[in-house]
Amino acid sequence: MNIETFKESATTVVKVTGRLDAVTSSEYEQKFNALISDGETIFVVDLEKLDYISSAGLRALLATAKRIKGKSGQLFLANIAGPVKEVFNISGFGSIFPVYESVDCALNAVAG
Amino acid sequence: MPGSKSIVTRLILVISLCSALIFTVTLGYNYTQSRLVLEKELENNARNLALSLVNRVESELVSVSKVTEGVARSLETGSYTEIQLHSLLQTTLAGNQGLYGSGVAYEPYAFRRTDRLYAPFYFRKNGKVSCIRLEEAYADLPYFYWDWYQIPRELGRTEWSEPYFDDGGGNMLMSTCSIPFYDQTDGVRRLKGVVKADITLASLTKLISSVKILKRGYAALFSRNGMILAHPLKESIMNETFFSIAESRHDDSLRKLGQKMVRGESGFVLYKSESGARNWMYYAPIRSTGWTLAVVFPEDELLANVRKLSMTMAVMGLGGIFLLSIAVSYIARSITGPLRSLVAVTGVIASGNFDVELPSTRSSDEVGVLTNSFRLMIASLKEYIRNLTETTAAKERIQSELKVATDIQASLLPRIFPAFPHRAEFDIYASMDPAKEVGGDFYDFFFIDEHNLCFLIADVADKGVPAALYMMVAKTLLKSEGQRLGEPELILSYVNNILAEDNDNCMFATVFCAILDTRNGDVRFANAGHNPPLLIASQKTHYLSLQAGFVLGPMPDSVYKTERLTLKPGDTLFLYTDGVTEAINPEEQLYGDDRLLHALKEAPKEKLSDLIHCIRAEVNRHANGAPQSDDITMLAITYRGVADEA
Repeated sequence: MNIETFKESATTVVKVTGRLDAVTSSEYEQKFNALISDGETIFVVDLEKLDYISSAGLRALLATAKRIKGKSGQLFLANIAGPVKEVFNISGFGSIFPVYESVDCALNAVAG
Repeated sequence: MPGSKSIVTRLILVISLCSALIFTVTLGYNYTQSRLVLEKELENNARNLALSLVNRVESELVSVSKVTEGVARSLETGSYTEIQLHSLLQTTLAGNQGLYGSGVAYEPYAFRRTDRLYAPFYFRKNGKVSCIRLEEAYADLPYFYWDWYQIPRELGRTEWSEPYFDDGGGNMLMSTCSIPFYDQTDGVRRLKGVVKADITLASLTKLISSVKILKRGYAALFSRNGMILAHPLKESIMNETFFSIAESRHDDSLRKLGQKMVRGESGFVLYKSESGARNWMYYAPIRSTGWTLAVVFPEDELLANVRKLSMTMAVMGLGGIFLLSIAVSYIARSITGPLRSLVAVTGVIASGNFDVELPSTRSSDEVGVLTNSFRLMIASLKEYIRNLTETTAAKERIQSELKVATDIQASLLPRIFPAFPHRAEFDIYASMDPAKEVGGDFYDFFFIDEHNLCFLIADVADKGVPAALYMMVAKTLLKSEGQRLGEPELILSYVNNILAEDNDNCMFATVFCAILDTRNGDVRFANAGHNPPLLIASQKTHYLSLQAGFVLGPMPDSVYKTERLTLKPGDTLFLYTDGVTEAINPEEQLYGDDRLLHALKEAPKEKLSDLIHCIRAEVNRHANGAPQSDDITMLAITYRGVADEA
């Protein structure tokens, strides 16, 4: 798994590549904890290049979302596709996160 | 123990060899240079010595020829009676100790008309002066045929004869200086006779051998023809010439040397004697006689001092190298001694004994530093091993605890099949293989009343101990609430709300929960984010399409919806967790929904245990040795229908 971040005005865009599973989920959580500690509150997570997400990955996603919510922040998901989209559909995760077609759409939603 | 390659041996070898080499080169250079200097000096000495000897011989000869000249001039200017002549000769001999004989030989009838030949000769005999008449003494050959008479007579000048044995005259080996004298009366110059004076070779030999030349060096005298005139070897005198010696020795260089001498040259040469000894020779001509004087120096005697010095130096050098070796050996041993003891101790350490005492170090040199490093290393190794032992013990304890936990978890799931031997309406079979010692997957089935069988499969997020703990809670809640509420959507909603309280870690479980009415095959089911089960019917095997529903745990008040389907006798529902479809092979390819569907179509369906084992084997085959990354859980249920009352 590889995580890239960049700032788009007040929003932090996090691009996750590879697999998000039991092995990599702790790294994902640590990365977000660091960003939250730095004072970031609004995130768009770009999942376009995410090949696979396991239940541990979903849990990490949930835990970070909950932490951001605790800081009165927001988490948007963008570009969910392929097997990841299937997992989101089956598990019902698609219905509890704000999901957008693309990063731009998500950013628009933030601005709006 | 270190052998021939030890530091001590190498140090001694290298240092000794190097110093021996340096010493040899120095000694050799010193020897050759000394030799060169010595040879130069020798040449000078030899030349001086030879020239001084030449001068002595020359002055001897010159004085003789002067005396002879005086006699001749006297006889030319004055008219001598026989008595006066004899007196003159006698006085001449007595006044010159170097002379052996003195005489006058007249031309026929030149002394007086009465005597054809007249030649009085005075010589020393047994310490006294004797007189003989040569015209009588020479019995075989008249005196005017002798060289000493003829040659000066013909040449008209002073002449030294080649040495000869004066047989009948002096009866000695001698050389004669002869001078012709003339009668000047009437303005006509007529030869009257020849004055002669003799010196013996013995006196010359005595003269030149009086000079001491080293121990075995000597001087020698050679005639114009190369004849040996004076030499320490008496027997060769007048018997051998330079050329006869060269001939007998087949020595061309000796012949050439003889030719140079005969030509009156001088020089300094190295030659080998008959015995093979090397000798230096300086030769120079004696002008008045045309002879050659040679001074001979044996080389070994010349170089004896240099040799002695070199030998002394060699002995001192060898002694020095020996002392150096001892010193090097001492230093090397003092260096390697502590190393050796350190090697011995580290050998013991290497065998695993860390309690051995390291040798004490007094010095702060490299060995001391090394020893201290070893001490530190042993301490850290001991510490490391203690930590490792503790960690290993702790790990073993955890392992054994996990083993117990595995057994407990397995015993919590119904695992005795057939589970309901008295119920012919359905068959049920299930299995759970945790990826780690304990898993987060579980299944369960139980009757909520006489006819309704609740069966469920669940997957807790993540795996291992946290998942197992959460699984225990979820399973307990699902069973108790299942028996109490008896309706899938209610069961899931209720359990979700309980789990959502104090769920800071956002743990969750996906659950597929169903209730089979054994009387008619009706199935009510609700899904909380779990993978859709498969329906294996006689005509068709397919995934159920069902409403997703959110997973149990993270959010309170999630809503679930009960759906329905009816199983015909022979239909099978196949429930599984994502450990099946997400099993990966070494190429990281997922087993996937399609492979599972295909495998189920092909699998034997008579016995559910066979079906599940078959799918498990298929998944294993797909994994092809790749480690199992998630718990693999399957549950299958077949509705058999109600047996005819009849």
